[in-house]
This record gives sequence, C-alpha cells and structure tokens, in this order.
Amino acid sequence: MGVSLDGICRSARLPARVALAAILAGCGGASGSREPPPLARTLSPLAAVGEFLFHDTALSVSGQQSCATCHDKAHAFAAADGAPVPLGGPLMNLPGFRNAPSLAYASFTPGFDVIDGAPTGGFFRDGRASSLARQARLPFVTPFEMANADAAAVLARLRARPYFGDLEAIYGADIQSDPDQALAAIGEAIAAYEREGPAFHPFSSKFDAFTAGTATLTPTELKGLALFNNPGKGNCTACHPSQRQEFADYALFTDFSFDTIGVPRNWAIAANAPVPRSPVDGSLLTYTPLEPTLPAGSAYAYYDLGPCGPFAPAASDPAARVDLAHLSTMCGAFKVPTLRNVALTAPYFHNGVFATLREVVRWYVTRDIAVNQGNNPDPQLNPYAPGGTFYLAADGSADALLYNDLPLAFDAAVNIGEVPYTPPAKDGGQSPTLTSDEIDALVAFLCTLTDGFDPDHPEAYALPAECTGRAAGSAFHAAIARAH
Amino acid sequence: MKRPSVPVTRQRARHLARALLAPAALGFAVSALAAATPPASSEQRLEQRVEDLAEQLDALKAELARLQAERALAPPASVAAAPAAAPVAAGTSAAGFEKLSLWGYGEAYLTHPTHVSGESQADLARAVFGIGYQFDDRTSFNSEYEIEHAVASSGDVGEMEVEQFFLDHQLTPWGSVRAGLFLMPFGLLNEHHEPTNFYGVQRNFVETLILPSTWREGGFEFNAHGVSGLSVSLGLTTGMNLAGWDYAPEFPPYRNALELENNGAAPLQASHQELSLANAQHPSGHLAINYTGLPGLKVGGALFSGNAVEVPSAPNAPPTGTMRVTLWEGHARWQMSGVDLSAVYAHGAIGNTAGSNLANPGSPNPIPSAFYGYYLQAAYADGLNLGRYRLAPFVRYEYYNLGSSYAGAAPAIPAGSVPLSATPGDYGLWPKGQDRVWTLGANFYVTPNVVLKLDYQTFDVNRDFTRFDLGLGLAF
Repeated sequence: MGVSLDGICRSARLPARVALAAILAGCGGASGSREPPPLARTLSPLAAVGEFLFHDTALSVSGQQSCATCHDKAHAFAAADGAPVPLGGPLMNLPGFRNAPSLAYASFTPGFDVIDGAPTGGFFRDGRASSLARQARLPFVTPFEMANADAAAVLARLRARPYFGDLEAIYGADIQSDPDQALAAIGEAIAAYEREGPAFHPFSSKFDAFTAGTATLTPTELKGLALFNNPGKGNCTACHPSQRQEFADYALFTDFSFDTIGVPRNWAIAANAPVPRSPVDGSLLTYTPLEPTLPAGSAYAYYDLGPCGPFAPAASDPAARVDLAHLSTMCGAFKVPTLRNVALTAPYFHNGVFATLREVVRWYVTRDIAVNQGNNPDPQLNPYAPGGTFYLAADGSADALLYNDLPLAFDAAVNIGEVPYTPPAKDGGQSPTLTSDEIDALVAFLCTLTDGFDPDHPEAYALPAECTGRAAGSAFHAAIARAH
Repeated sequence: MKRPSVPVTRQRARHLARALLAPAALGFAVSALAAATPPASSEQRLEQRVEDLAEQLDALKAELARLQAERALAPPASVAAAPAAAPVAAGTSAAGFEKLSLWGYGEAYLTHPTHVSGESQADLARAVFGIGYQFDDRTSFNSEYEIEHAVASSGDVGEMEVEQFFLDHQLTPWGSVRAGLFLMPFGLLNEHHEPTNFYGVQRNFVETLILPSTWREGGFEFNAHGVSGLSVSLGLTTGMNLAGWDYAPEFPPYRNALELENNGAAPLQASHQELSLANAQHPSGHLAINYTGLPGLKVGGALFSGNAVEVPSAPNAPPTGTMRVTLWEGHARWQMSGVDLSAVYAHGAIGNTAGSNLANPGSPNPIPSAFYGYYLQAAYADGLNLGRYRLAPFVRYEYYNLGSSYAGAAPAIPAGSVPLSATPGDYGLWPKGQDRVWTLGANFYVTPNVVLKLDYQTFDVNRDFTRFDLGLGLAF
C-alpha cells in the first residue's frame, strides 16, 4: 500500500542529499549548521550554546536534521510541513511515529507526577522523560531521528563543532572524553535555550493583549471564548484552562493532565499500515516497535498507546516515571497539549490525524454521536463527518471499530464522561454541543492564541489561512483519500 | 430581665452558667419532676418555671457575690505577667480543674431527596469539642475543635478544624476585648449554631449561603454591654480572599440541597479564610449592634466591610481594582408565650468584579456583585407536652439568591442535560443559584440538650432538591 507524500515536507522526499540541504532551510525553517544564528544577548552561556545545538544539523548522521527541522520557530516550534510525523534517520527516509509537538511553552511543563490521582506532566507526549533536558538529548540517538548510534557518536560530531569550546568551558574538559556527560550537557543546554529563549514563551497573543486590557476581541472571538469556557458547550477549559494555573503566571491552556480521547487512526502514518514502508523510497521499515502484550482481539499489530507503549522511559533516565505498559487505564492516553499557537501547529493530535482546527472541533463535539458507549442511547450518523463517521478503515470506508486507534479492550479507557463528548439532549436523542456557527466562533477564538499580536499594529497580526477563512473544507478526508 | 452587672461574653456566659447553675440543679430537678407528673394546667407550668428561674437567679447572685468578694481580696491580676505555663500547672491541682471547662456538641442526620432517592445520605456531620480556661477573673480562653463528616484523612472529605480559638479580657464591667479566631457576630445562628439552638435538621440557607456560618475570622474585637440591653461589637479581622475564585467549574458545584450547603459554592463560603494561612493583606472591619432590653426580644444588625484579596490578573495587565466585600444583615427574634418568631435579612456585595468577569466570558460562575437572602420562621417552642419531653414544631420560608446582580458577565448556565461528574452516564440539570424554600418540621427535645429533628423542605426552583431530613443533635 502506498502512502501519500503530499502531506510531508516535500524536500524530505528528495533522495539527493545536496538537494535536501539546499531546501531544508525552507522546510520547517531549519537553518542548517552552516550559519548558526547569532547569540542572543539575553541568553546565559549555556542557553546560548543550546541555541546553536538546537539549530545544528551537523550533529545528525544525515547531516540534515536538527531540533529546528521538526520544531520550527515560525510554527510555534512545531513542524512546518504539515506532515503527521517527521522523517529522519541516516538517509532522512524513516518516518517517525508521532506528530512533532510544539515546543513553545514546553518549559512550563511539570515533571511527571500523580496529582489528586491524576497523572500529570512529564516530557514527550507520553510523559516518559523526567525533564526537558532528558527529553532533549534523546532524538540525537533515536534511529529514525538524528540516528547517532550512541552517545560516543554524538560526542565525535560535537567535538568538531565551533561552539564545543563554549560547552567545555561550562562543563569542564571531562566532556571531551565522557560521551554520557557530553550528551547530558547537550540536553541541558537545549533545555536552557527553551527556558530562556524569549521566542519560546512570548505570551504575545491577542488573547494576552485582551487579558492585559490593550486589545478587544471581536464579538465572534468573544463568543468563541465563551463557548470555550462554557461547561455545557465546548468545555475546552476543563483540560485547557483559560485561567492561569499553578504552572505559570499566565494561562497556559493546558493542565498537563493525560486523557484517552480515542482519536481516529491515521492511516497516513507508516507504522499503522499492515506492512510499514518508507514513504520516501518504499523500503520496508523494520524498526516499528510491536507491543508484545497487546490484548487479544486487537485488530492491528501496532498501536500507539501512549504511556502503555511502545516507547518506555529511557533506562538512562533514573527520575523518569515508571513503565506504565500494564496500566490499562492509561493506554491510549496522551498529555494534554497547550493550545497557545494551536492555529500554527497543524496537523493535530499525537498522530496528526486532523489537518484543520475545524475538523478537530467537529470531531470533538460529535465523537460519540454515532456510537453508544453508555452516553448515547440513540446513535445516529455524524452530521459533521462526510459519510457519517470520522472513523475510517484502511480502505477509507467507515470503520466498524469504535475508537479505531485503540485495541477494543482499551475502549473502556476512553473518556466519555465529559462535555463535549455529546451528552444526551434534554429531549432525548443527541446533537452536537456546538453548531456550525459556534464551531467557527470557537476556531476564531483559538486563533487569538497565536503569538505576535501588537496592540499598536493590530493590522500586522499574521494568522494562518484557517483563521482568515481561507482554509480548505475537509482537509482530513482529503488527506485520507490521498493516502489510498 | 435585669442583666448581670458584670457583662460576660457568650462563651463565658455559657461556662460561668455551667459552673454557677449547679446550686440550681435541685430546682431544675424539681422542675423536671413537675414536668413528669400528670399534666398540669399551663398556668401551673408557667408558675413552676418562674419559680425555677427565680431559684437559678438567686444562685447566680450568690455566686457572683462570692466571686466579687474573692476579687476584692485578691491582688489585681496581670495577664501580661502570667507565665505561659500557668494553665498546665494549674491543671494539675484541683483549683486548676475548676478553671478548666470542657464542652461539646454534635449532630448526625439522614437526608433523603425525595425526587432523587439515590442521593440519600447519612452523616455524622460534626463532632465538636470545646476547651476553655479561666486564667483569672478577667481573662479567659475558649476554643472549639471540630471533626466534620466523621473521618478526616487524606482520602476522605472530612476535615479537622479549629473553629474557635480566642482570648477574652474584661477591661471594665461593661467592656471586654477579644483576640484570636472567633465567630463573627452576624445573624441569629452563627454564634449559636449548636443543633439544640436552631430549628430544622440543617441550618437555614440564608445563614449558610449568604452569612457563611460557621463564619469565623482572626483578629480583634471590642465588646460592650450596656445595662439597657444594648450591646455593641466592633472588630478588625482578616477578610475574604477571591484569588482562588473558580471561574471554571466543569461540573455543577452541587447537585442537591446538602451539597449546596456543604460544597462552598456560595460567594463568601468560597472566599472566607478561616485563619488557615489566611492572606492578611487587607484587614476588614465589622460592627454589630444588638438590643435585648425587652423580655423575649432580640433585635440587631451587623455590617462587615473590607477589601478582598483580588483575583490575580495577568502579569502585564493593569490591577484588577479593589474588590471590596460588604455584608450587612438585620435580625430579630421574639420569644413570648411559647411562640418563637425569627427573621433575618442578609445582603452581600463585592465591588469591582467587572474586569475579572469580562476576562472569563462563558463562565458558569462569575463573581456576583450582589447576593442576598432572607427568612421568616415561626415556631411553637412549648409545643406539645409529652411528659418530660418537648416537641417544638416550626415552619420557615426563605429565599436566597447567590447572584442577584453581576458586573461584566452574567453566568453562562448550561442548559439541558449536562454531566454532573466525570462518571459516564451521570447526567442532570445545572442548578440555579436562587430559590424559595419552605421548611416544615419539628424539634423533639429529649432533654434541653438532646434533640431529635424532623423536617421536610420544598424548593420552588430547584425542585429536585426537595428533601426529607431526620437529625440528632446534642450539646453539653
């Protein structure tokens, strides 16, 4: 089965390394290693090195991938290419498994903990790394990312970099010969850059200006905020609080909790295919981790179950959470992401299954309208989904499986108790908690979470097409159709 | 009725009376015996009670005279000079125990929402133990410790609380000062919330939701008692804290009448601090005036005002503005010929809420700028004569409104069926913040200190709150 390349950064498909290097700068804003950005005066020496590291493709085996390749500043440090998962590896032909999350505001994430019985925080989408620094070092030695064989291979490349002396000045000469310490230093420097770099947390959205009293929201945006907050309508604020929490002085639009929401399976991810192949050259992918403990009756060989696997905490991370592979209530749960800059970070969810915010909201407010998981006695076709359901089988037909990106045995873990998961209407039956106009208003509000609003020059506020009404109608289904 | 020449505080009065009334016990026993004899005419009973009271008054006079004589002989006490260890040392002697007082009260109930029987609950609502100590004839200490809901642990909803912890010092025969954590002198119930002192299984809504009983603050208070029956309290205390205001309750903060009382959803319930690491940025003041100069009558009012700790604004935002909380109430109680009539009106206001509310559109729980409530209650305290027992029927009408006006944004109450919790299938209506409540019931006094209660409450707006309650209360 072929996999569409249209959603993937086009430069990544080119086999010629030279061509890749030439185009990468325009794909995801990766700046390459040749001309690292100048040191920012406001950064500490460690963070300044971190800035170099963040943008340096020379530390990857391919020579073409840095953090910035998948975490583009212009897209709130999420991927710029619109692909569900990034490509990496020695030849930049190996697809990853999860959508690259935005790193903006990531430094506010607390370490993994169980607060009032609820798992909270940790790094990566499954919370398996104990700190930003622990998270930042791992892509350097991940086979389908920067692909270094081990820390020694990273150190070998690092020694040749012009900023290595700066790192040595901070950590001492030992990192010359200690690969583990060198890799740890890399993680700490990048984490320092993410903490100190103003671009990672500018709090300069129109919403921030609104709360500061320097801007007003349009009636539509204000209506969208009200729907966002209303526990009977969007109820978004339940997991994406619009009020500030204990994590920061500003609202972060995430409470860092975990939730199993049962998003549709994304067949555009190679690992989800019956026979995983590289979308670049069609080669068989042999590194797809298989969960040996999938429950009986699972329809597919591979599922991304978040904290339950397939990715376990690194053995080198002693402070990481325990392996939750056997905790079925956490299977399929992912950490709630911030909604700041969400208009810039498509596609959405851990598997990038939805390409637009409208699709996301439409799915949220109608998710269970066609099924009965105990909250819907009168299933009916989903009015917001072409064909009546967002859950599609590999061939594009309606999937008979509920929450088809989870083994059937884990469906019980899906959150069905909260709005907007379509509670029964007063007169019986069920209808979406938001009308089409209300969805538009909610999306308009979500767009106000985009950084870069200048109250003195509101006309210069740059927003993506979806926010300005120029988005395609159903990118989700278009992408699915292209996959076949 | 002539008041004692030396005014005493409420707690002191209770303890002093406890110590002094011992000589009157015989009189009380006679009274009880009389009550246990075959029914006499109401005139005879009245005469017997008058005699009892006269005996008790004589005993009080005698004890007062003895105390005054002792004080005349003793050197003036110096509170400041009293060693901190004095109570402990005194407690080891017989004299020390005399200075120590212990008391308690508690209540348990069964509540049965008649429309939602699955939400019936039984609870040992509170068990309270009091400890007092009389340092000298002018200085006393009183405290109460409360366990709510039977079990207080990290995994239970129960709490262990210090409800009162204060010192009184008599400055003059008519004036005293109080310091510590003490009950606010508002309404009829807050300072007299023992279950034997109010009608109905649960406290009335006005003095739970508008006046947040059991309402206590930390600070100072000056109390003056005039011979004419006029008393005045003037205090400076901690105040309200709105910094933790919950604009985003995902589920209704209460689903029945019991939760309405207990879940802290009302404005001042949600913002009073109970001297638990209280933010003391803004002192609040209060003034309470009561008149008890006519037999059976108590009439008064109180005013509380102070700036609350504000809802925090974004770091780059201008300050929210002063959020002043003002609460006032008027109350009256008239007890005559067995009839017990009560009325309370209470009104609260919070200033400068518009900015904060505007920043949270769509919230089902913006901060109200005004809230109020009132009730009228009639009871027949003498009630039915059942030998040594007493049955006092009552009826109460009350109205409460937790948000009679809002600035900036009105509450966005979800319509229709909404989840009441994260439990799948747990759906219901989001309750309204105002209601008219009729309560019909009776207190059955086994002794004056032990009461069984029964009542039925109907709610005009939140009809599913209608309930039947059964309670047991005691105080000693």
